[in-house]
This record gives sequence, structure tokens and C-alpha cells, in this order.
Amino acid sequence: MTAQAPPPAAAAERPAPARDRAAPGRRRPVRRERQGPAYIFLSPWILGVVLLTLAPMAVSLYLSFTDYNLFDPPKWVGLRNYAEMFTEDPRYWRSVGTTLLYVVVAVPLKLALALGVALLLNSMRTGKGFYRSAFYAPSLLGASMSIALVWRALFNDGGTVDELLSGVGINTGGWVADPDLAVFVVVLLTVWQFGAPMVIFLAGLQQIPTDVYEAAALDGAGRWRQFVSVTLPMLSPVLFFNLVLETIQSFQVFTPAFAISAGKGGPADSTNFYTLYLYERGFSASHMGYASAMAWVLLLAIGAVTVVLFRTSRSWVFYANEEG
Amino acid sequence: MTSTPGIRRTPRTARRPRTPRSRTRPPRALAALAVLSALALLLSGCSGDASGSSGGKVTLTFAWWGNDDRHKRTNEAVDLFEKRHPNVTVRTSFASYESYVQKLATQAAGGDLPDVAQLDYRQISQYAGSDTLRDLGPYVKSGALRTGAFDKELLSTGAYEGTQYALPMGSGTTGFAYDAAVFEKAGVDPPKPGWTWQEWADAGRAVSDLGLKGPNGKPYTGHTDMGVHEDAFEMWLRSRGKQLYASEDELGFTARDLARFWSFTDKLRREGVVSQAKDTSQISGAVESGPMGRKLAATDFTWDAPFLGYPPLLGDSVHFAPVPTTGGKAGQYIKPTMLLGVGANSEHPKEAAELVDFLLNDPAAGDILGVTRGVPPNQEIAERVSKDLKGPEKELYDFGKKVIRYGVDPPPKAPPRGDVVLQVSFSRVYQQVVYERQSPAEAAEEYVAEAERELR
Amino acid sequence: MTTAAAPHDTGTGTGTGPGTGAGHDGPARTGGRARARTRARRLARHAGALAVLLVLLYPLVWLLATSLKPAEEVVTSLRLLPGRLEWSNYSTAMEGVSGVPVSRLLTNSLLISLGSVLGNVLSCALAAYAFARLRFRMRGVMFAFMVATMMLPHHAVLIPQYIIFNQLGMVDTYWPLILPKFLATEAFFVFLIVQFMRGLPRELDEAARIDGCGPFRIFWSVVLPLTRPALITTAIFTFIWTWNDFFTQLIYLFDPEKFTITLALRNFVDQSSTSAFGPMFAMSVVSLLPIVLFFFAFQRYLVQGMATSGLKG
Repeated sequence: MTAQAPPPAAAAERPAPARDRAAPGRRRPVRRERQGPAYIFLSPWILGVVLLTLAPMAVSLYLSFTDYNLFDPPKWVGLRNYAEMFTEDPRYWRSVGTTLLYVVVAVPLKLALALGVALLLNSMRTGKGFYRSAFYAPSLLGASMSIALVWRALFNDGGTVDELLSGVGINTGGWVADPDLAVFVVVLLTVWQFGAPMVIFLAGLQQIPTDVYEAAALDGAGRWRQFVSVTLPMLSPVLFFNLVLETIQSFQVFTPAFAISAGKGGPADSTNFYTLYLYERGFSASHMGYASAMAWVLLLAIGAVTVVLFRTSRSWVFYANEEG
Repeated sequence: MTSTPGIRRTPRTARRPRTPRSRTRPPRALAALAVLSALALLLSGCSGDASGSSGGKVTLTFAWWGNDDRHKRTNEAVDLFEKRHPNVTVRTSFASYESYVQKLATQAAGGDLPDVAQLDYRQISQYAGSDTLRDLGPYVKSGALRTGAFDKELLSTGAYEGTQYALPMGSGTTGFAYDAAVFEKAGVDPPKPGWTWQEWADAGRAVSDLGLKGPNGKPYTGHTDMGVHEDAFEMWLRSRGKQLYASEDELGFTARDLARFWSFTDKLRREGVVSQAKDTSQISGAVESGPMGRKLAATDFTWDAPFLGYPPLLGDSVHFAPVPTTGGKAGQYIKPTMLLGVGANSEHPKEAAELVDFLLNDPAAGDILGVTRGVPPNQEIAERVSKDLKGPEKELYDFGKKVIRYGVDPPPKAPPRGDVVLQVSFSRVYQQVVYERQSPAEAAEEYVAEAERELR
Repeated sequence: MTTAAAPHDTGTGTGTGPGTGAGHDGPARTGGRARARTRARRLARHAGALAVLLVLLYPLVWLLATSLKPAEEVVTSLRLLPGRLEWSNYSTAMEGVSGVPVSRLLTNSLLISLGSVLGNVLSCALAAYAFARLRFRMRGVMFAFMVATMMLPHHAVLIPQYIIFNQLGMVDTYWPLILPKFLATEAFFVFLIVQFMRGLPRELDEAARIDGCGPFRIFWSVVLPLTRPALITTAIFTFIWTWNDFFTQLIYLFDPEKFTITLALRNFVDQSSTSAFGPMFAMSVVSLLPIVLFFFAFQRYLVQGMATSGLKG
């Protein structure tokens, strides 16, 4: 999957297989159809899955147990890459720390802003369409190298932000060169692209029927009360969708970190995001085995986080058409 | 591809890119297919794959890294070669160092190294050890590659385990670019061969004490922090009788040595004698981005070739000083700036060798190339080229001679495979020191541990 | 989805106290004051939205302004707008990077992006049709798998893919960037189109089938035209994402002649000398132009179409 917030699509969709299983019941009993055509339609996809997903995943799993530098045949080293990663490589843990910090700060901030602005826009009668488009624009541009360069310049020593802050007596000397602040340049760049989740929130908000609010108002619920008791639960599937999507993407952030640190993950490893380190290990240092191990840990970590999110979702996500 | 993806060379027939095809398709889809194949044609037009020969015509590929000046001169020399060898066409490609190194690695992995490739000293072990370079010995023996006018020690830098895999394209050495005008203002004598690290530090203190300001009102310091340079550490180490690598898989120093070096630079940083963390961390290799290039420091540890970038930037008062010594013992040595090798799978090794010989030994080629890759390795050519040199280029040439006169050690063996990576790590780990996240000792431990993993 | 039903009993009713009528939108408020208040509130909302907008757009305005600033102004003045318009930044920028003109870089980017668009639309629509309309063994499993691959970080397949393409001699060509798109590897778009196709009335297929059309005819002549909005969405997003993509290009392309505009901009990443800012950001502006054009041309599809069609499923 590419970076960047993809548009909503699946929001609030019940897990699809369940739906599928339910589906045939409604339809006419299955005629014995020829399966040939289906596989012809699917052939590019199947080819892609086998050649570019399944086989590579298997190979990368295998490589993760080897020492492979592209030049010489892979050398089996068992669990050494994993052991090295977890016990010997301080930079690995630094990159994990940086990435987690980024995910934990950027995702909630971005979603909160997206929700806040969506609520604001939803309550407006005029100009909604205009604002929606305008706020969405950064999401399309934000993943580009150009914009990353802009942020690098804005937050650099002597850049606009630096000058503004020193105007009020805070001397940072540029966030980009400060190991404590550099990661937040990436955070802010991410938050700046709140438009994509906002659009999804907005669409979700519009689907909440007004009579629910009216009922709540009749029951004497105030604005905040309505928000907590009506809006949030009704919006929870969308919120959940956004949360999963943004979290998964945040783990894979690359371009802005690359641009802001001139490809080096500095200063002092402070923007050495997981993916940046993976790239460096695999492609600059030619440790393909090590990088494969890193990729598999990332895969498992993202899987685990997703599972946890899905688990917790049972207690706070409410599907209107829940059947059980 | 589920089997081991080794370095086995793919036969050319396997090269043809596959496009998705299904067996039956609706008539209209034919149009789509047509578009697809048109695209395929367009794309394959972009994929470089032309080393084949047709009708006695030979096509060679030749790749290097460098700046625009080197690009221009090299292409000019290649044109001359083609004129002299009408049956040979040379396809040249050049890139910046970083992407060049990466591309070469992938080409080597695919068994597809260019016929003639420019190599860094650090790459020799990697490539020779992986059998991706051709043994040039036979060509040297037959006289197709003339090395008679080469300095023997310099020539040996292209050998790996006794086999000549590459020939040096030039020689160069390290030193300090310094602003003589600032030194004079601070009352510091111009550096002389044999000056010591202590004198170097004192010179920096004197400059910093002037209290000059750079642009943006930042303090102007004596030196660029050289703690980021593995090369600088090597000079320092050698001046104390040690070296970076003891063997292919062993360091020639301990964490204590490195801690001592970094403590030395770190103390100067705390005193304000060398550039500050934020400026040091921006050093990227381009002279413009380092503290000296940004007018924040009076000196910079550098190689002779990049030194040439300073005078146009800072003026004629910039000169080149020898590397300081420890009690008179110099660590400096003459290094090959870059080397030329021939791909192991080259289909035209004879012509490739001719091109290498031409670039290194032909007087006319020498005139065109000048000192764009350092002092030419062929001493006759070097002599010839030096007559036309002026300004900083002349200074460098004379400097090289002077350094040799003061005595240099023979160059160490080509660095082991891991060194390409370690060079980068060196400056990265040092950032932990300048940003005060680790003590010099801790950082040294981290680096040595990483180096040992890299070398095993 | 059908959101008509009440929210899944979250105690909307439980905690509601007695005090009715405290609501702000209580019906019978005496005229003028209330109206003034709502108007004030409306203005406040606009003020809020505009404030957000201002912050959001600042970097873009800054980019435009800086691309026109003369070198000496970039360093010395905090002023946003250039004192003098330095158009030559653009002509300098057009000369490109390492001897490759920007027109070439743009062409390269365009070639890759359009190739990807073609590949994605074609292959994803094919797969989506099978999932949405055809019955075949293991459909559920395959569909679930397809959905799962949407969450797969591409790093997991990156290295073997790279090795494969390298063995095929395709590194430093556009194949690794485009070929996967013809194999429907971007499951997200398959899913999107599936969702859209499911919303189309089945009666149409039935009618066509009765008329004797096979699945291919139905796909090509009936379903595909109706799926246009989803295909356009796929096309737009593929274009923009591919255009913005950096990582894949960074890994696969080396020859400056084959660089995309994004890769060429990468060369400026090391650049910290502000003197080159003008041309560098002029080039950035040029590189963003296609996205901006796309945005203005299709923003209706982009924003509205997407959000709602996606949500309805």
C-alpha cells in the first residue's frame, strides 16, 4: 500500500467475509456457473498475489534468517538477525522509540483535529463545501517531497517558525537540528494533513439522522451531552476506521522523515524512523537479511496493533445494523 | 524465485519483462492490450541494456560518480577514445556518489557491472572479494595496461589478496583547509609540516578567542568539529602508531582509543573551539553545508579534491595545511582518490582494458582530464599536467610533493567490506556525543560494537 | 451501511435528567435576541474555519512566495511576500538537476503515473468485478485475503521484490514501478471498486444475461460504464499517489536521466544554503502543479464522491 491517507471506502463496513457468507442466502440458489470466467478476471490479481505478495513474503521470511548482502548467496544464520536487533543494536530501539512516539502523538492529534473541524463544518450552513475542499488539499500535497522540503525550511535554523519563536523569546535554533524537536516537525506535517480523516468524519456526521438529536434534545441533553451520547457512538465506526487507517500508515511514514533529516535520520538518530532505518540497513548498508527481519517485525507489530484495536473496538464501536 | 535468490546471473532471455496476460479476453479488451504493449515498448526503450556487439561494433559501458566538471572532462576524453577506436562505442553514465554506490551494488548483484567502472577505495574489497571484478593481471603482463610509470605503492591499492583488480585513477591526501587571513588576525603562524595536534588545538583557541561572528550572528569558531570524520580519526590514530583495521575482520584500535579521540574533540566543542552540534550535524560532504563553508569556522578537515571547492566560496586566503602529527609522527598517507575496474562479466574485456589504459596513460586524455580525479597516477602524465596548473590546483599539486618529501607511510590495505557502512556510522554515532546524549566513552563502545558486528 | 436505526443502546436515555427546555434550540425564544445570537455564532464558526484555513494555507503561500524571492531576500527578511518578483528562479529551476531538464523529469513522472493509472484501473476493475459479481470457489477466503493485504506494510515484500526485479535486470527501469500496478497489487482500489459495484442493481446483469451476454460482455458493456465514478476515483488517487511517491523511486531508479521530479528534488535535501532556495522551491511549485490541477479539476469526485460512495458501500 502506498503512503498517505486513502479515501474512506470501507468506513464502518462490517467485516466483509461475514457479509459474503450471509449473502448467498438472499439470492437465488446458485446455478452451476462456470468458474472459468471468474478466474480469468482474477488472473492479474492472483498473479500479483502469488508473485508479488505471497512469494516475496515467504522469501523475506527466509531472508530474515540469513545474512545476505546482494553479492554473495544468502548465508543461514538462524535467529541471529533477530537477536542482534533486540539485544545488540541500540539504534534499532532508538528507531522503535522514535516511531512509537510519533504514532502516539501524531495519530490522536490528527484525529482530534479532524473530528473537531468536521464538527465545526457540520454545523455550518454556508461554505461547507468550500472549506471541506480547502482543508482536504494538504492531504493530497502533504506526502510530496516538495512539501516536506517546505517544512524543513520553515522549521530550520532561521526559518519562519524559528524566527517567530525567537520573537517571543524562545530560542530553539531551528527544530530540524534539535534532536528533541525534529520528530515534531514530522508530527506537525502529519497533523497538517488532517483533511482526509476529516472528510470521512464529515460524511459520517451527515449520516446521523437528525431525529436522534431531536430525541436527545427532548430528553434534555445539552450540547456536550449530545456529543457524548449521540454523536460519538454514532460516529464510532468511522472513528474506528480512521484510527486503524492512520495508525497503520503512521508506522510506515518515510518521505517527510527522509526529507527533514536529509536522508540520515538525524540529528542524533532522532528522526530515524523505523522505515528509514530499514531502508538504511537494507539498501545503504546492504544487509538485506537484517532488513527483512525488521520488515517482519514491523509486519507482526502492525498486525498486533490492528488486532488490539479490533479487540478494544468491541467495547466502544457501535454498528447501527449490528445483528447480535 | 522461491529458491535462493543468489547472485546467479540471469540469462538474457529471462530478461523480457512479463506483462499480465489472460488466455481469453473480450474483443474490446484488445484495445487495452494494444495500449499495454505500446507502453511496454516505451518502457523497454528506457531500460538500458546494450553491451552486445553487432557487426564488429563493440559497445562498452563506463560509469563514474562526480560533479559536472568531471562529467564534462570525462565525456570529452571518451569522445577522443571513440575517435581513435572507430569500432568501439562507449555508453557513459554518471551519478552522485551515493546513488552511484547503490546502483553499482545492485548491478553487481545482478552480475551486470559496467564494463568499466569507477570504484572507491572502500569498495575494492567488497567487489574483488565477490568476484565481480575482472583480474587485470594478464592485461598488465601483456602490456595492454601500462603501469610502468605508476608509483608502486599506489598501484598496490588496487590489489586484493595479491590480485590486481583495479588501477588507481589518481592520488590524493588529507589535510586541513584553513583561512590564512583569519589565522593571521589571530596571530597564529601558518601551519607547517610536522605541526602537532596540540598546536592545531591552540590555533583553534586563538581564532575562537577573536570573538568573530558568522552570518546570523553565530559565533565563529576555530575549527570544524572533525570528530565526525572517520578519516580524521584514522590520521590521528596513525600518528599514534595504530590503524583503523588490523585485518579483514578486525579493528586496529580499541574503544579506549576512540573514546580518547572523541574526548579530545568533545572537550574543544565544550570550550567553543570547534563548531557547535547543530552546525556539525549538517556536515554532508558538500563544502557549502559544512561550518567552514557557511563561514562559521576557520578550518575544515578535508581531502585535497573537495578542498578545491573552498577558494571559490571563501576567497584566495584559503590554503591547504598538512594533517597535524603526534610528536612529529605523521599519520598522513597518499591514497588513491578512486580506481578503475573492469566488470567480471564484461563481454569485451580487451576493449575495456584499452579504455582504462587510454584514460590513465594517454597524454591527450591526461590533458583533458587534468586533476579532476586528483594527481594522475602515471607520473609522466602528472608531470605534464602540473605545468598548466594554477592557483589552488597548483598549490595542491605542490602540497602533494611536499607531503611526500616529509615522508608518508605506505597506504594501508584496502579497507574491509564493512567500511563503507562504518564510515557513515562513525559520524552518526559521534552525533550522540555532540548532542550530549552519550559520553565519548559510551559512544565509542557503541561504535566499536557496531563495527565488530559489521566485520564479522 | 444503513444508519437509520438508533445507536446501539449506549445509554442515550439513561442519564438524561429532567430539566427539559434548557436546550439552546428551544423553540419559543423571543425573536431578535436569539436571531442575533445565532448569527453571531454563525460568524464565529466562519471565523474559526477561516483561522484554521489560514494556518493550513500558510506553508503553501510561503512556498509560492519563496519561489519568487530573490536570493538575498530569502535570508534577510521574514516578510512573507517578496519585495521583488524573481521570475528567473523559474527559468533556473527549469534547467533541472545534474543536466537533466525539468521537462524531462516531468515527462518521466508522467509516464510512470499514467502507466500506473492504466494498470490500476484495468487490473483492479477486473478483480473487483469477479469479487463483486461472479461466484467461484474460495471467494470468501480470497476476498478476506485481499482485504487483509490492504493492511500489509509494503516493507514486508519490498526486499524480495527488489531482488526479483534486480535478477530480472529491471532495476533502474520503470518496470518495478508500473508492472505491479497491472497485477492489482493495490488491494485498496480493488476493495473500493468492489464496494461500488455491489451497489449497482443486479437486475442489469440479469437483463444482459437474458439477452445472451457472457460475463465479459456484461463486465465491459454494462458494469464498467456504471462503475465510472469509482474508476475515476481510482485513477485520480493512483495518479496523485504515484506522482508523490518517493520510496519506490528512490530504491529503483538511479540514472539521472530516468529520475522523476520527486527524485530530482531529493537532491535538494542536502541543501542547507539558503541562496538556492528560490530555484529549489520554484521547482517544487512546478512539481506540485499537476496535483493541484487534478485537484481543481476533480475535487468534486475527490472529496464528495469518495466520502459518500465509500461510506455507503
